[in-house]
Amino acid sequence: MEQVLFRHNRPDRSVTFEEYCAEGGFDALKKALTAMTPDEVQQTVIDSGLRGRGGAGFPTGKKWSFVPRNLPGPRWLICNGDEMEPGTYKDRVLLEKNPFSLIEGVTLASYALGVRHAFIFLRRDYETAAANLQAGIDAAKKAGLLGERILGTEFSCDIDLHLSAGRYICGEETALINALEGKRPNPRQKPPFPAVKGLWGGPTVVNNVETLANVPAIIANGAAWFKGLARNPEGAGTKLFCVSGSVVNPVCIELPIGTPLREIIDQACGGLKPGKKFKACIPGGASTQFLSEAHLDVPMDFDPVVKVGSRLGSGAIIVFDEGHCLVEATLNLIKFFARESCGWCTPCREGLQFVKEILERIERGGGEERDLDLLRDHTRFLSYAFCAFAPGAMSPLDGLLANFEDEVREHITRKRCPLKG
Amino acid sequence: MVNLTIDNTQVTVAKDATIFDAAKSVGIKIPILCHDKKLHPFGGCRMCLVEVEQMKGRLIPACTTPVTEGMIVRTTTDEIVKARKLVLELLLLKHPLDCPVCDAAGDCDLQNLTYEYKVNCNQFSDEKFNHAIDYENPLIERDMNRCIHCGKCARICDEIVSYGAYTFINRGIEAKMGTPFDGPLSCEFCGSCISVCPVGALISRPFKFKARWWALNKVKSVCSYCGTGCQLTLGVKDNKVLTTVYDENQGFHNGQLCTRGRFAYQFVNSDNRLTTPLIKKNGKFVEAGWDEALKLVSEKLGAAKGSVGALTTAHLTNEELFLFEKLFRGTLGSDNIDHSAGYAHAALTEGAQKAFGTVTSPSEIADIQKTNLLLVIKTDAYETHPVLGFEINLGVKRQGVSLRIVSDKKGKISRLPGAKTSVHKPGTEIAFVNALANVIIAENLAVAGVAGLDQLKAALADYTPEKVAAVTGVAAEEIVALAKEYAAAEKALIMLPIGLGYPGHDAALAQAVANLAILTGRIGKEGSGLLIMGEKNNSQGAADLGIYPKNGGLKGAAIIDGAANGQVKALFIAGENPVVSYPNRKKVEAALEKAEFVVVSDLFLTETAQFADVVLPAVSFAEKNGTFTSVGRRVQQINKAVKPAGLAKSDFEILNDLNAALSGKRYGNVAEVFGEIAATVPAYQGLTLSGLGDEGAVLPVAPAAKLNAVAAPAVPAAAGKLALVTGSALYHSGTLSRFGEGPMYVCGDAYAELSEADAKALKIEEGDAITVKSDVGSVSLKAKVGKRLPAGVVFAPYHFADASINTVTDGAAVTLVTVGK
Repeated sequence: MEQVLFRHNRPDRSVTFEEYCAEGGFDALKKALTAMTPDEVQQTVIDSGLRGRGGAGFPTGKKWSFVPRNLPGPRWLICNGDEMEPGTYKDRVLLEKNPFSLIEGVTLASYALGVRHAFIFLRRDYETAAANLQAGIDAAKKAGLLGERILGTEFSCDIDLHLSAGRYICGEETALINALEGKRPNPRQKPPFPAVKGLWGGPTVVNNVETLANVPAIIANGAAWFKGLARNPEGAGTKLFCVSGSVVNPVCIELPIGTPLREIIDQACGGLKPGKKFKACIPGGASTQFLSEAHLDVPMDFDPVVKVGSRLGSGAIIVFDEGHCLVEATLNLIKFFARESCGWCTPCREGLQFVKEILERIERGGGEERDLDLLRDHTRFLSYAFCAFAPGAMSPLDGLLANFEDEVREHITRKRCPLKG
Repeated sequence: MVNLTIDNTQVTVAKDATIFDAAKSVGIKIPILCHDKKLHPFGGCRMCLVEVEQMKGRLIPACTTPVTEGMIVRTTTDEIVKARKLVLELLLLKHPLDCPVCDAAGDCDLQNLTYEYKVNCNQFSDEKFNHAIDYENPLIERDMNRCIHCGKCARICDEIVSYGAYTFINRGIEAKMGTPFDGPLSCEFCGSCISVCPVGALISRPFKFKARWWALNKVKSVCSYCGTGCQLTLGVKDNKVLTTVYDENQGFHNGQLCTRGRFAYQFVNSDNRLTTPLIKKNGKFVEAGWDEALKLVSEKLGAAKGSVGALTTAHLTNEELFLFEKLFRGTLGSDNIDHSAGYAHAALTEGAQKAFGTVTSPSEIADIQKTNLLLVIKTDAYETHPVLGFEINLGVKRQGVSLRIVSDKKGKISRLPGAKTSVHKPGTEIAFVNALANVIIAENLAVAGVAGLDQLKAALADYTPEKVAAVTGVAAEEIVALAKEYAAAEKALIMLPIGLGYPGHDAALAQAVANLAILTGRIGKEGSGLLIMGEKNNSQGAADLGIYPKNGGLKGAAIIDGAANGQVKALFIAGENPVVSYPNRKKVEAALEKAEFVVVSDLFLTETAQFADVVLPAVSFAEKNGTFTSVGRRVQQINKAVKPAGLAKSDFEILNDLNAALSGKRYGNVAEVFGEIAATVPAYQGLTLSGLGDEGAVLPVAPAAKLNAVAAPAVPAAAGKLALVTGSALYHSGTLSRFGEGPMYVCGDAYAELSEADAKALKIEEGDAITVKSDVGSVSLKAKVGKRLPAGVVFAPYHFADASINTVTDGAAVTLVTVGK
């Protein structure tokens, strides 16, 4: 299986700068700076079909193209490494094994976008990744691959590693921008979108770690090659899947986009734990809808997963077996979201708290039939919140009601959790 | 322009408009809780959700979404109404619903929308909040249990006041509007947050439990403190002014007020008001009737005739000042009439007169936000005129105005983004400004063909940056850079505050700064020129109406001296308080003691009135009709809101009665006098009282532009002495604000502010009792230690009667003092 992001990985340690270079590292940067214009780099990324790996799946090259070309003043690139979505740990594994693909990717993106100064906004708890990145940045700078006049060309670029103060909402790109400016991380209203007016008022692109780490390989091997990596015809590239829950071997693994969900669980992860039977899974992190056994053959790519009522998200698969209560699981997630809501808008601040209380009631056995309608209303009305946080928070509840309504109703009619004695 | 359809109505609006703006422009009401026209859009409450056909299925907020061509918007569908109801239900879930004891009831957006959307039951139930209520300060009560998290308090404090007292703290359902470290509120207490709070989370404590909102009679007026001319709505009940009511549509300032405007109205209904005339008999005041008092006064004035001296405050209305002038200059034939100690208006009456041929400055308040570069003389411009300070904040933060300050200390506006403050030695303003002119001329930055350029060049030859650097303590390069920046700006406006606390801001300084504007061709251009900021609510009116000696008569302080040496036989003082606010208190007191006959008309038995032979009870702005003329020449009307206290009469009636008694003309009413003003004062020509309307009228001005070289005064210095400069405290204005609860709660005592270096050297700490001593006298004050002052400088505000700073000053810009514990 072709490895793109994990190509340089060593089993027990991080790849060194010398090893990365010896294996073709920074060749893409050399190629871009010497033989390609920034527009050509961007076009290659557009042609490659690369979509954002942070969760929303927005086409990366298209996002770059929104930055107005002729505006005076600085423009910014921010790598979003504030990986706090429950179940998601792919960026950590990537950075602990190899910080250089990201550094090279950020530099390439900066070249394409005309950015002089890029930031990597990293989750504070990722101490090993932070140390790795800082050492990598220093090594690259020393080798003339960052800083003034990179490789003797006109292009200069620096990367600043910024450690987040640590809140889930910082993963929302406009809240992240506020946080980076030293402000409270409330999301900003859109429009204006960051590509037009972002960090310190300048055009800003925010990309996920995995997204940017893909760019060197795309530039080195071409758009067609990248597209060809996928298992399904409309897909492009590979994807890091990080699996947790009731599987024998919970791993973070790189597989072609479009690999069926069943294959990931059964082959890569060795199937369900002994004696356990698959009941449900969350396919892409806490803010995606539960899928049931009926959906196991879905190709893990953005559009096919949407078609079955969920999202590929970050590729964080959480597997539940027949012994798990999904009301409790949903409640657990909603508790997380209710706590992490920034408190800015009414539906999210007050609504999530209320959803949490209804689910608690149902789980305790005190639920009523009308609670189902209330919950359903909320999955709709919370989508009218200020940012994508509340709609995301409603996704597991949405999936619960769509695929496991009977289990919820059973709680209500039996006045207790059927899975607890 | 963009065309769109809202509820089947075609709308055309500017392309930066939001859906909310567009709907409003055609009278379609979209409910809002967190939106405010003065603030950046927020989008948090989700009440203004609307449906846009092009974004099928998703409801979007009208207040943050910009219009696009061809948009089809629906503002009321079943889904929208359901979503709005849900928002209200969620907000009401935690809200205490203590409307019967909430001061906001009747003026509460949450209450009104709950009613409008008929939310008569809640499908949810939950525990209420249990936040402790902040009663720590006497002005603003914070009950966060009532808060709906609209964020307006934090935004107005940040965006307009530029203080930043509030922010969201905590997350999720625990999120609340907090203060730094969740402590008690500690700020400027302007109350802007109260004004925009859509519920009763922030309320005015002086008004608490005073009246229901709907029981208040709302009377439009104009603030009677500083010269800004902020419009007010007085909330009146039972013949008492109980509060000021916020009206976002009032004035250039959109209803914004400072501490004085919002919290200092209590002087109107003070128990200490004079309610009857008093005549001093055998050294004691005895109550008297008006007939007796006026008879005595008119006899004495009539006998003194041309040797009458008359001082007034610029708090009086234009109509009253007109009668003042008619009585003393006209009927009695005395030119010894003046106000503001004779120096605090000289920037207008002499400085502007010489530079522009008119007693007003050529610019308007609106120019502040239209300019590219603001040059403010003294950071105190914020303290003297706080709402103009808000305009500066907005100009810098929203319009990208560059702010440059020439000052003897730093101040709040020094901290605005990109602001640069050139801190010079006290009293060297003119030298500094002359150096700027010198550089502009030397670098050929003056516009071609300015008359008198050569003479000015010669006269200012000595004010090279290097020489002036030695005098002012500001580096020559800094002076040159500032001059170049000023000259290079497309539009540049100079702001010069004046007042009793600023003897150095005189005619000469006004001419020096006028030179800069004239040299660079800034007169008569939008967003450019010079704005001289008169201290009192009607300082501009007093200048317009000629309340200053015109034919060699005695000036303010000299009139007081004249009362002592017999040159002035009878002294009439209308509302002025020279004992506290004129230089050299002992000298003033001695003069009044010696004076043959003194009449004082005032609201209170002031320190000056104590010396009077006759005291006449006058009325406040809330008890009369008339007009004030503010900074930027806006004439605005005040309206009688309450009946006079006791037997008190307006100065209009008093002066009119005296004029008639002395065989002058008796005028019928305010409108008649305003008509006279319109007929006789050129700038007011054609105005009518009824024509002023709510907006008022900006007087036309046709300034000439004449360069006048002025010499910088010598600045005293002596080893071991500190330089005392006086001025305004943020919470006060003149000596009247001492009778307002708000200012006195926040700043109740006289103080002297020292630099950290001096305080350390003198072993003085904040709050220590210190003695400030000069050649003139000494006074005991509370010490304040601040980072903003350079070493060697002491600042003291002048408003306070006890321990008044004029005990040690004698009218000089800088007084050398020693300070000790």
